[in-house]
Amino acid sequence: MYIEGRRVGVENALIPARAAPPPASRLAWNRLDLLWVVVGVALLGAGMLKSQGAFSYRWDWSSVWPYFVKTDSLTGQWAPNLLLQGLMTTLRLALWGMLMATLVGLIMGWMRNHARLLFRMVASGYVMTVRNIPPVVFVFIFVYFISNQFMPLLALDQRVNALPVEVQSFLSVLFGPMELINNFFLGLVCLSVFSGAYVTEIVRAGLNSVPRGQAEAARSLGMTNLDIMIRVVWPQALRNVLPSLTGQFIQLIKDSSLVSLVSIQELSFMAQDVQVSTQRVFEVFVLTAVIYFFICFSLSQVFAHLERRHGREH
Amino acid sequence: MSEPVPARQPPPSPPAVWHRRAGWDVFQFAILVVLFMALAFHGATQMGYQWKWDRVPRYLWRVIDGEWIWGPLLTGLWVTLDLAWKSTLLALVLGALAAWMRQVPSHVGRAIAWSYVELIRNTPLLVQILVCYFILAPTLDLGREVTGVVCLALYEGAFAAEIIRGALQAVPKGQSEAALSLGMSPRFTQQDIIWPQALPLMLPPLAGVLVNLVKHSAIVSVIAIFDLTAQARTIIADTFMAFEIWLTTAALYLCITLCLSWVVGRIEKSFHRPKW
Amino acid sequence: MNFNRRLFALGLAFFCSFSLVPFAQAQQDNLIDTIKKRGKLQVGFASFVPWAMRDKQGNWVGFEIDVSNKVAQDLGVRLELIPTAWDAIIPSLIAGKFDVIIGGLTITPQRQEQVDFTTPYSTSGQGVAASKQLAANLKWPEGYNSPNVTFTCRRGVAGCKTVEEKWPKATLRQFDDDAIAFQEVINGNAHAVISSEPKPSFFAIRHSDKLFKPTNENIVNTFEGFGLRKGNPAGLAGFNDWINKNQAWLKQRHQYWFRTQDWAGLVPSI
Repeated sequence: MYIEGRRVGVENALIPARAAPPPASRLAWNRLDLLWVVVGVALLGAGMLKSQGAFSYRWDWSSVWPYFVKTDSLTGQWAPNLLLQGLMTTLRLALWGMLMATLVGLIMGWMRNHARLLFRMVASGYVMTVRNIPPVVFVFIFVYFISNQFMPLLALDQRVNALPVEVQSFLSVLFGPMELINNFFLGLVCLSVFSGAYVTEIVRAGLNSVPRGQAEAARSLGMTNLDIMIRVVWPQALRNVLPSLTGQFIQLIKDSSLVSLVSIQELSFMAQDVQVSTQRVFEVFVLTAVIYFFICFSLSQVFAHLERRHGREH
Repeated sequence: MSEPVPARQPPPSPPAVWHRRAGWDVFQFAILVVLFMALAFHGATQMGYQWKWDRVPRYLWRVIDGEWIWGPLLTGLWVTLDLAWKSTLLALVLGALAAWMRQVPSHVGRAIAWSYVELIRNTPLLVQILVCYFILAPTLDLGREVTGVVCLALYEGAFAAEIIRGALQAVPKGQSEAALSLGMSPRFTQQDIIWPQALPLMLPPLAGVLVNLVKHSAIVSVIAIFDLTAQARTIIADTFMAFEIWLTTAALYLCITLCLSWVVGRIEKSFHRPKW
Repeated sequence: MNFNRRLFALGLAFFCSFSLVPFAQAQQDNLIDTIKKRGKLQVGFASFVPWAMRDKQGNWVGFEIDVSNKVAQDLGVRLELIPTAWDAIIPSLIAGKFDVIIGGLTITPQRQEQVDFTTPYSTSGQGVAASKQLAANLKWPEGYNSPNVTFTCRRGVAGCKTVEEKWPKATLRQFDDDAIAFQEVINGNAHAVISSEPKPSFFAIRHSDKLFKPTNENIVNTFEGFGLRKGNPAGLAGFNDWINKNQAWLKQRHQYWFRTQDWAGLVPSI
């Protein structure tokens, strides 16, 4: 007999009309695929015809690759060259930037939802200002206007030079070469303040996602405000928005390319430098795009995998 | 019998308390803002910077021989807005195309759309615009402004694709099933049932795409399109009035984006349908 | 309520503390003494072939690097090179990010309002390289003064002002970098590029199929000096002193970097 178009035996006659949902349709390779391949090749061909001489470009990766990893002339060993150093700076900026941005975001997010209007106004003023001006303009204003107020006060390079050499080499693993510490710190604070506005909104969404009953129940149990915050509300809020925070981390890696416009020596800045020195525009920019893509894409896949695993445990 | 309960004084009505506190808070906030600005200006003066605010208006507008001439900043703003609306239209087209391709019954089609979105989402905008300008533009013989429009549209198109796809998926599946079971063709299902329900869901975030585009358009200054940021940087390079010009530029961008956000908010409100 | 009031007072105090700290920027003591005490000379510059560029090992080489090294050596201090975007180099100097600009800073009246210049330590000129494809039929120099003609330059160089003065009707596009400005002309997107010699000559030779020089004379002859923050006459005198003592050495170095290509092996392809 037939049920739902499938041949089943008599013993299955007791299966109700809609026994199980039909299996997910597995897409077979079909003529549409062929159509898309043809369209793609046609577009590529048209592009090649229209471009004169672009594909006669002599690709020369050998002059660009030494800028990634070089054979050091002094020691003869493999050493990171400009692009790899820029990449390390980008990663350091992203990691420390995310930490600082989370700190800023936590404080501002708490203020955003506060009972007092003053705190709400300060936090929403900060968020609205930072989120509504272009990132490029924000970077310029911050670096040339605001940073001049506090960078001389910190006098980081002088403090760092006063430290013993071992401490300096340890710090240089975390923060990059010590002679660029001012440069690095400036980029770090700029990115943190910029990302902090977005983290604030994420934290706010997280705090709003925790049911009010949690805080009320905790208060009725006699917990102090601080305890409620630290033990009840915030752990739940942050767990809820962890996907958004990881997304913001990946966004921060991309935003770090903006600080190259103010001569912070990260990957995009080094790419421009190398492009100027070698005149190899194609190779340098393609290599840079591939590096960014590789990092951001793998991170997003890793985070998605972690979320799936974590979600399954619940 | 117990004595009559004496009438209690009602507590002070809440609105009066709120207004007093709110006013005080607003005042404190104003003080903080003034303090912050004063610190910043004071710090700049300490560095030996000479403020020349009186020279700023000529970059906004000038009146020469009775003729009104727009200054470079406002001309740049006009270029920015021009760029923004063209890119938005193209971004919407690209986004709709990519969203549609994500659900065609074809591996290759879906792969193309997915790789477009992932490629755009995982590379920085600065690198994208440099690639567009140095690699795509000479290859396809595109002009500078066209390259800027195309690059911004590609960037925001990926986000628009995700928004449109999300809105289409948010329409309950039962709608399309019911339509198909009533004998409607797939094409009319999409046209008359799915899209009209998906549109109110997708329009507010898409309007946010327009606001984002205005912000991200500042990046085209690196390929020397005469937008607001490029004009600001040129003026600063000439006159060294870094602070005044940057603050003015930021204020102009803030104006535009806040206005657009307000309009988006109104659109969102107007789309609030009564629950059936 | 108490907690909030305390928080507010704390925030207010934090902000006010900034205004009480003396800013170290407006220093009137001798810049040279400050540098010697610090043990480090901070020099601001931008990458400009052949003033300063990266070699294959990723180190900075060039005329300005040699000069900065010698100044630091003669002062007995370490050298710290701070590459900066060119259009931001003067604001960065004023903001105190480095002590001196040794980067081919052309002496112009507008810049003299903002910074103090030493006596010239090198002289150069501005030159133009034009696109064969677009500008071959243009008469020099009148033909270039038309709204249809596009000049490119690097944002912040003195050449931009020259274009505005000599060819006021032409369109001027400014880029972050010299190489990009030249690339525009090579790609046929602009008619001509103005830059400091010897770059236009180098590029015209290297890309002789796409570029040519409309004239072999310098458009403008320029002088370069060290740039210092205003209000420091003792420091200015110190640097002037150094320049005057080292004129022969400066000439010899300038000759090496600008008139010969002996250093071409160091850098990849220029």
